[in-house]
Amino acid sequence: MTPLGTTEAIEGTEGDGAVVAAVALLRSAERRKRRIDLSLAVATPLSLLALWQVAADLHWVDPRIFTPPLQIARSAGQLISSGTLPSDLVATLARLAVGFAIGAAGGTAVGLLLGVVRPLRAALSPLFTALYAIPQIALLPLLLVIFGIGETAKVLTVVAVTFFVLEINALSAVRHFDPRLVEAGRAYGATRAKMFLHVLLPGSLPAIFTGLRVAIALGLVVITATEFVASNNGLGFLVWNSWQLFEPDQMYVGMATIALLGVALTGVIVAMERVAVPWAHRRHR
Amino acid sequence: MDLLQGPERASGSAEAAALEVRRVSKAFVGRAGQATLALRDVDLSVERGTFVSLIGPSGCGKSTLLRIFGGLEQPSSGEMRSATEQQRGGLPSVAFVFQDYALFPWLSVVDNVAFGLRMAGVGKRERRDRARTWLARMGLAGFERSYPEQLSGGMRQRLSLARAFVTDPDVLLMDEPMAALDAQTRLLLQEDLLKLWEETRKTVVLVTHSLDEALLLGDRVVVMTARPGRIKLDLPVPLPRPRTTSSATGVAFSRMKADLWAALRDEVERSLEHS
Repeated sequence: MTPLGTTEAIEGTEGDGAVVAAVALLRSAERRKRRIDLSLAVATPLSLLALWQVAADLHWVDPRIFTPPLQIARSAGQLISSGTLPSDLVATLARLAVGFAIGAAGGTAVGLLLGVVRPLRAALSPLFTALYAIPQIALLPLLLVIFGIGETAKVLTVVAVTFFVLEINALSAVRHFDPRLVEAGRAYGATRAKMFLHVLLPGSLPAIFTGLRVAIALGLVVITATEFVASNNGLGFLVWNSWQLFEPDQMYVGMATIALLGVALTGVIVAMERVAVPWAHRRHR
Repeated sequence: MDLLQGPERASGSAEAAALEVRRVSKAFVGRAGQATLALRDVDLSVERGTFVSLIGPSGCGKSTLLRIFGGLEQPSSGEMRSATEQQRGGLPSVAFVFQDYALFPWLSVVDNVAFGLRMAGVGKRERRDRARTWLARMGLAGFERSYPEQLSGGMRQRLSLARAFVTDPDVLLMDEPMAALDAQTRLLLQEDLLKLWEETRKTVVLVTHSLDEALLLGDRVVVMTARPGRIKLDLPVPLPRPRTTSSATGVAFSRMKADLWAALRDEVERSLEHS
């Protein structure tokens, strides 16, 4: 039943040299394949960066537009030591975090509620689905009219996108809940509140986390775009402003930082998911 | 003493009935408004401490009848009586075992077993202790912290049995609990179930598609007609207890199986024509 680890022998074959040798051979072949996969995954982007550097140095491409990687790295060092990059990063991260937290909490709560209360679902679900179809960034001018050029309008764009993604995911989780599990819950005494707390909520967590992963990526897109047009700090502003001042090296630094931020935030969500939903994680092993 | 509680009880008085339905019918209405009659005028009583197998063609309403017995459905007409005693501390007097196990994937093995106890407000320590006892009894000791997805089909159904037995119910309702298992695992689980039943003498209603299983386990086998389901035959099974899987041999067994099939065959053909 339990799979073998990476070193121990199959039970009862210890004395059988041929089997032991064959197992060892298969294991080392498997390890070798995995090493090759890993080195290819690392080597490809590194080679592309090296190619870029060479191409710019030899003027195959225009280095004023395609700033070579080493110069971007120098520029990043300057932006970090001057404090510009850290302060832009903090500004973007704060907007994103506040908007994401509000939108995720609200969207999850409303989605679960709509899943359970049929009249509410009938009244609101079609409306929300229609509103979600509007690109949230298109709301920005309206939000700026209402709230002025403060933090509120910027945060609300993130709230909007996060809310709808979570609302739709949580609602769908409850609507497509395995009816056999609901029935088992009822058969074993889970009444309304207990059914929600002990059956519907834990069973909906995988879909909620899928929503969180999608929403954090979309939230980063929306806050970057918002900062392009309606901000004087943040990573989006850094990229946009560098373009306007024609400092492409700084623009690349901003873009790379946004990309790394996206990877890091997705990693945080995945780590949270592993803690909160260990059973779904194990299933895919 | 155990022998006295065996098949002879099947013809016992009506007062001893743990579950009883009288002229029960059940209709369902689909989303498009189409109505289906699942059960029609069903009379059936299940005496306390007996094992009743329920058999019939697919879609004949066996599961619906089981759900009515368990209070998960209300009959459209007729009455359903349950003489089961409400247990102390709000524990349910009826426990279900489902065909596809219906285990909660987010709960560990031990917490799955303890689910009913938790809903009834039993303290953490006591429910864990009771769950562990039943896990050990079902041969699942050492898997407490695993998740259901990590278990084989046979282990999952044992887990599902432990979840049912741990609440110490008066009545166990089993809906094709072994239908999803391979033939060998099924034999082993039938033996487990025989042993468990002969030790605990719970009132059991078992829905099954297998003639052998129905006869091997049941004190009575009740055959239902094609939809709308009615009772067609109520056959006592006078095989001596304790039984083993080898009880499913011999002339008497074969004759009963032939009788069952004779009653069932027309119904299966009818249900095929309708579908």
